[in-house]
Amino acid sequence: MMKILVVDDEESIRLLYKEELEEEGFVVEVAKDGLEALEQVPLFRPDLITLDIKMPGLNGIETLRRIRETERQLPIVMCSAYGEYKQDLTTWASDAYVVKCADLTELKNTIRRLLRLL
Amino acid sequence: MISVLHPDGYDLLKKTIELSSASLPIGTKLERMLEFAKEGFQSDRSLYLQPEAVVKGGFLSRVAERREPLWVDEAFPLPEGEVLAEERDLLCPAFACLPLSEEASFHGIFYLGFTRNRRFSPGEMDLLLLLAKEMGNVLRNDRLHRAAEKTASELNALHQMGKTSSSILELEELLELIVNTGLKIVKARGGVLRVEQGRHGELAVRFSIGEYHRSPLDERIARRVLFSRTPVSLFRSGKEKPFISVLCAPLISKDRGIGTLTFYDKQSDPSRFDERDLQLLATMANQMSCAIENTMTRGQIASMAEDHERRVGQLSTLWELNKALLTTVHFERIVHMTLTAITIGDGLGFNRAMLFLVNEKDHLLQGTMAVGPDNAEEAGKIWSSLSQKKGNPSELAAQILSSTDNHSLLNRIVKEIQIPLGHDQCILSRTVLAGKPFNIRVPHDAEEWLQTRCERGCHIGSEVGCYVSEHLSRNPNVYAFATVPLWGKGKVIGVILVDNLYNQKPITDEDIHYLTMFSGQAGLAIENALLYRNLNEVHQQLKEAQTFLVHQEKMAALGELSTSVAHEIRNPLVSIGGFARRLDRSLPDDAAEKRYTRTIVKEVERVEKILSHVLEYTHEGRTPRKELDLREVMEESLSMVSDGLSNGEIELVKGFSEEIPRVKGDPYQLKQVFFNLVNNACESMGGKGKLSIRIHPILKNGFPFIRVEVEDTGVGIDPENLHHIFNPFYTTKDNRLGLGLPIIHKIVTSHQGQIEVNNHPGRGVTFSLTFPAQEEKQR
Repeated sequence: MMKILVVDDEESIRLLYKEELEEEGFVVEVAKDGLEALEQVPLFRPDLITLDIKMPGLNGIETLRRIRETERQLPIVMCSAYGEYKQDLTTWASDAYVVKCADLTELKNTIRRLLRLL
Repeated sequence: MISVLHPDGYDLLKKTIELSSASLPIGTKLERMLEFAKEGFQSDRSLYLQPEAVVKGGFLSRVAERREPLWVDEAFPLPEGEVLAEERDLLCPAFACLPLSEEASFHGIFYLGFTRNRRFSPGEMDLLLLLAKEMGNVLRNDRLHRAAEKTASELNALHQMGKTSSSILELEELLELIVNTGLKIVKARGGVLRVEQGRHGELAVRFSIGEYHRSPLDERIARRVLFSRTPVSLFRSGKEKPFISVLCAPLISKDRGIGTLTFYDKQSDPSRFDERDLQLLATMANQMSCAIENTMTRGQIASMAEDHERRVGQLSTLWELNKALLTTVHFERIVHMTLTAITIGDGLGFNRAMLFLVNEKDHLLQGTMAVGPDNAEEAGKIWSSLSQKKGNPSELAAQILSSTDNHSLLNRIVKEIQIPLGHDQCILSRTVLAGKPFNIRVPHDAEEWLQTRCERGCHIGSEVGCYVSEHLSRNPNVYAFATVPLWGKGKVIGVILVDNLYNQKPITDEDIHYLTMFSGQAGLAIENALLYRNLNEVHQQLKEAQTFLVHQEKMAALGELSTSVAHEIRNPLVSIGGFARRLDRSLPDDAAEKRYTRTIVKEVERVEKILSHVLEYTHEGRTPRKELDLREVMEESLSMVSDGLSNGEIELVKGFSEEIPRVKGDPYQLKQVFFNLVNNACESMGGKGKLSIRIHPILKNGFPFIRVEVEDTGVGIDPENLHHIFNPFYTTKDNRLGLGLPIIHKIVTSHQGQIEVNNHPGRGVTFSLTFPAQEEKQR
């Protein structure tokens, strides 16, 4: 069973993603901000992380940088309402960038691709 | 025997002296005197022998030479010596021959003969000598009298000439009088009066009587006389050389030779001019020189006065034109007025006038306007209608201005002309560079020809001028034109070109001078108008820039606001939409609630799309620019909508030029632009109509651009909405999203392009985009 960590400050989003991804057969854990995510990674040992950018406290970009300090290979999907960061960030650290959308097809496809499930 | 004291002798002497002072003809006087002597001395013959009758070699000639009387009688026989046959008749027993002479002159011989022998007493000798003296006096007086009469008549002629000459104003008349009078005075067959032309001693014949030109020496003599300032009398007769009999005197006025007066071939016998003739001629020449010079000066003054009058006329015309120019600052009107003034008869009267203005930015001369008939027929019409109009030039110019629109072919041709300023082969650009007028007459020598030829063939049009080589080669004998620089404040702002193509009147330096004076004023007026126009343009631009900046600022604020709002909305939308989907999936297919969930999902999708548009509009393009072939970009865009094109009955007409320069740009953005335009076009035609897409290179101000045109046959844009179509958030009533055109506008502008709309409501719209072409890389 593949494990996914969903990091987002919006509770409704966390709930939606958790339910949708569990329905796809993933084990899903959630974190409400960057700090919580950094704590979860060594405990939960996820196979993939979805990371929101705009969060209170530690934002997504900083969180990504910190996770990458230890986890070089862990696939991370940036998941944001901001489309314009796409080109800046995907290039240096994350593996994919998905603009948030009610239709989660794109997100699911991206996760499957990164986990080589397709 | 009689003596002076003898009463008979006294009586004879008294009668003779009385007779000598009587007013009788000389012949009668002499006859009576001889009669008195014959009676008084009871002689058989008394004669008066004229000097011509004295033949050389005889005793008479000895009397004449020695001026001594000869007495022959009983006591004194004829001295030894030859007696000529003509003299034998005079020989008789006693006779006396007394010379009639005084000092140098010899008037003849008084002869008294006796058939009987007698002796001359000393008293008789004294008496005869007294009688001879008296006779001599009578003869001398007569000669003096005749000479005085002749002189008086000559003087009278000279006087009359002098008097008349001072009242004559016409030079020709005066010269005629001089030659005619001279002819009478010196009694010549012909006469010539020459006047110096210029300052190089060239003599020109101004008046002549007779066939002077038959003598080849005539002119040479005249030149020598003028040069030496000495009168000359020349006589030559002989069989080998031609006969010459010439009198020539210089005309000298104020110590300067102004000409010569020549007479030839004496009429009377002998046919040789004497010293007196020469003196008379010299006197006459002296007297007349001043009159000739005065008359010539008067002539010059008259022509100068005429010149002044003309200049005053010109100046007042200039003043009128200037007044007319001051009535407006409207550029087109001033230029038209200027060129009209140059071409109307009451103005400067050229056939055609063209104006070229300096474009400093692009360093070229731009054809601006031309006024003049397109062909000779039209020219004739204009002139005949103008000759009926009367008024001063400014009124006329105004009339013409109001009546005629300038749609002539010439004007169109000239407006197309652009001449690089560095091109000094072209007479127009040379006029600007040199800052002086050029009067291009028909070239007479090869060098001049080369100077005026324009090798690159700037296209003033074959009929106009600077495309000189072409025109001149076609009809080199008639075409002449002139250019004058147009001065603004201290610099040349343009060139006026004029010609007389139709009436082929030669352009004089005087014309050029006048035109230059006028163009000085016109230059200032045109420059003022230009400045005014520029000021207006800049003012307009500033106004637009201000509006644009305000708009930009609003947009920036709006953009920021909408971005943050959009982001804030996006998260809840994801939840709403996401859960709606989940709900939808969890409901059985036949559940009534499924309609609600579907609606939520669809509406959320719609809101998300709107958000994407908003964010795209405010988002600055960050993709790197590439060199693109717009035809390829267009093809890709068309492939995205080709479904719509093939489904309906839309006819697609593509007009792509073969050679298209590349454009530097963002391929995605440009694809979006073309896609939107094509999509809009298809929608506006409702799937039915003709879609034309053209891509071709163009030149704007000498720089390469690419134009993309998308033309449809749809409903067009409501004119009411036309001003708003590039305004974001403006939506037309037909429920289409208003962001398409603003995004297109933004993208095109960010590519340094321009977008124009040619709207025909009800018939269709043409969107025309212009992008600067990528400059070719240097090889």
